[in-house]
Amino acid sequence: MIIIIIEGGDMSISRRSFVFGSVAASVFISLWDINPSKAEVKVGDNAEDKKLIIKMVRDVYPHDRFPEAPYERTANDVITKGNADSAKKTMLSEGIENLKKANYGKLNFKKSTKYLKKIENSGFFQHVRSTSVVTLYNDQEVWGLLGYEGSSFEKGGYINRGFNDLDWLPDPRIEEHPDLAAFLKADPNRLAAIEDMIKLN
Amino acid sequence: MKKIDKKEKAVVIIGSGAGGGTMAYELTRAGIPCVCLEAGPFHKKEDYVNDEWGAFLQMAWLDARTTSGDWRVAKDFSGLPTWLCKAVGGTTTHWAGATPRFMDYEFKTKSTYGNLKGANLLDWPVTLKDMEPYYTRAEDAIGSTHRGGRAALPANNNYKVFAEGAKRVGYKFYATGPYGTNAEPYDGRPGSVQDGFNFQGDKNGSKWSTAKREIPRALETGLLDLRTHSHVTKITHNKEGLVDGVIYRDVDGNEQRQAAQVVIVSGNSIESPRLLLLSESSMFPNGLANSSGEVGRNYMRHLTGSMYARFEKPVKMWRGETMAGFCADEVKHNPKRGFVGGYYMETLALGPAFLSSFLDPGAWGREFTDMMDGYENIAGMWIVGEDMPQSNNRVTLNTDVKDQYGNPVPNVHFDEHKNDIAMRNYAYEKAEKLYESVGAIQTWRTPPYPSTHNLGTNRMSAKSKDGVVNKWGRSHDIKNLYIADGSVMTTGAAANPTLTITALSIRFSENVISQLKKGNI
Ligand SMILES: Cc1cc2nc3c(=O)[nH]c(=O)nc-3n(C[C@H](O)[C@H](O)[C@H](O)COP(=O)(O)OP(=O)(O)OC[C@H]3O[C@@H](n4cnc5c(N)ncnc54)[C@H](O)[C@@H]3O)c2cc1C
Repeated sequence: MIIIIIEGGDMSISRRSFVFGSVAASVFISLWDINPSKAEVKVGDNAEDKKLIIKMVRDVYPHDRFPEAPYERTANDVITKGNADSAKKTMLSEGIENLKKANYGKLNFKKSTKYLKKIENSGFFQHVRSTSVVTLYNDQEVWGLLGYEGSSFEKGGYINRGFNDLDWLPDPRIEEHPDLAAFLKADPNRLAAIEDMIKLN
Repeated sequence: MKKIDKKEKAVVIIGSGAGGGTMAYELTRAGIPCVCLEAGPFHKKEDYVNDEWGAFLQMAWLDARTTSGDWRVAKDFSGLPTWLCKAVGGTTTHWAGATPRFMDYEFKTKSTYGNLKGANLLDWPVTLKDMEPYYTRAEDAIGSTHRGGRAALPANNNYKVFAEGAKRVGYKFYATGPYGTNAEPYDGRPGSVQDGFNFQGDKNGSKWSTAKREIPRALETGLLDLRTHSHVTKITHNKEGLVDGVIYRDVDGNEQRQAAQVVIVSGNSIESPRLLLLSESSMFPNGLANSSGEVGRNYMRHLTGSMYARFEKPVKMWRGETMAGFCADEVKHNPKRGFVGGYYMETLALGPAFLSSFLDPGAWGREFTDMMDGYENIAGMWIVGEDMPQSNNRVTLNTDVKDQYGNPVPNVHFDEHKNDIAMRNYAYEKAEKLYESVGAIQTWRTPPYPSTHNLGTNRMSAKSKDGVVNKWGRSHDIKNLYIADGSVMTTGAAANPTLTITALSIRFSENVISQLKKGNI
């Protein structure tokens, strides 16, 4: 489901958000408009619950070399968006309660994964997963950790900064093969003959 | 800018993308004043952002839509069947630039492939020979590399992996184009700076789009009345059954009417059939131009699928032109492979933001993060092949869900044909071999994204019972109603569609011009 939310009837991007979703869940993507002060955040907004969500995000998308900060920002987003309406709040608080019942905070990675597999189809899991996949990998610190360089136009693109710096393979041909036109023109029934022709080259 | 009175019976073009933008340019150049109604805003190159989600939110068509059928998109992106744009320039703002022509027999697949169960194949009413002069004009407009003496783009990192892999598995027909972004200055547009944000509009202005070329030039003639934020909701007709106006919502959401002498529908393969269906009346209870019942049917989205491969050493695929890498070796029809038709392989690079969402929607856990963790070392390609037109793959009105104006939203139904699945599996295997030949340590079969190629819902046909428009894009039923966009494609071929949409639009414009001159419409 996609719902566009236009606040104040203004079409400018800075105020546009939308729900990007699957059957199981929908993620509230609002890349410019994260303004938690507007939303009444209650569920999950305490140190204990947040710790559980942080652990869960890390177990769902485990990157050993990532520090805590991007996971924490992602968890905050999971919590904010889990407070978007009363149905979400119920989903979030039940999900957190179940984590507590399962003693999730104490489980090692293997056991956590096993537990998460079990709840994989729940609305709560889908909320955490589908929010995290967007928020975590749209995090600038994560981009840096992955080696991604982000916006480049203001630096002149990569024309003089390594768009072709791969050096572990030979430089390939960039022009079309001289037989391409004949290959594309050939009647498909004559394909076998053409293939032979190519092999001879 | 030209102001055309709303009561004046005007030539009205709906949409300003590949089809509509080209039409506006050709008609105004021929001295014909036009009104172009475009639902989206006019972004200039300085407005574009080097940011995947940012650009998507800026340009994508996000009005409510629904999906059904067995395609995975319906499960993973149920409200987002397509990746299309709402902006001046239409989806050419987002497009990459791959511009192959159709092959001769791809205009006659029914004669070539024969009767395939479940496939509603039909020969086009035009041939490659008819299209050749228009293809050349479209390539010159777009500035396709490798054509018309234009230079090839240099090899970027992603292409280096792709081309060497292609070579090692025995492919021959790889190159960095044909591609609609300049390698060197051409037609007032500079050469690419390889910033890696071609999909995001291209801030450098090296990429062709109708927002960059056709619409500004049509405005320069002084004959184009371009109305942005103008969403057409209905086409009206007179007692004789000729179209005579369009109803649209303006920037403030107020309803307006523009009188029309001719209407050219160019809203793309989802919105064009939807608009014809929404325009039903007592005279046309099944929608406009729909005596055949074919409006909305035979929706195609190309085979598609992607292969991402992780290596031990850095690739940095995000640097450089997004899709400047081609391989044609698998494109020829060769039923020995277990399917009809063929496919191209094309390089494709996504940033972490998009790769994470599209690599394998719903996936999580260590295997997934191993792949993402190696982001710097990933190379990627897109598989684009012919998919089968099927009568029940169609755009219909979903009266249960309403858009922002209270109109039924389009439902996009798509079931995969066995041929599509067989071709995709074959292509995945071949792509794995290609990347393994250059040392891939992990590969990923990525399913189709929300459709970027949307084709065939108002198909061209020789006979009026088989389709919606004739070989000039003119509707079989209503002589002053034309369609010029991806929806007119009779079948999809393997080629990326935009060169063909543009060439067809140039061709159709000649008919509009001559019919207007003769006073027939
Ligand atoms: C990421 C991406 C990459 C792509 N890469 C390639 C490529 O490399 N090669 C290729 O050939 N193709 C590519 N494509 C596809 C290409 O962009 C489309 O095939 C092409 O733009 C379709 O042209 P069209 O005229 O049918 O529709 P569009 O270009 O989508 O134009 C339709 C226009 O109509 C407007 N509209 C719709 N309904 C209404 C209404 N009711 N009232 C007013 N206005 C309306 C829309 O806002 C839009 O501006 C790509 C697409 C995407 C998304």
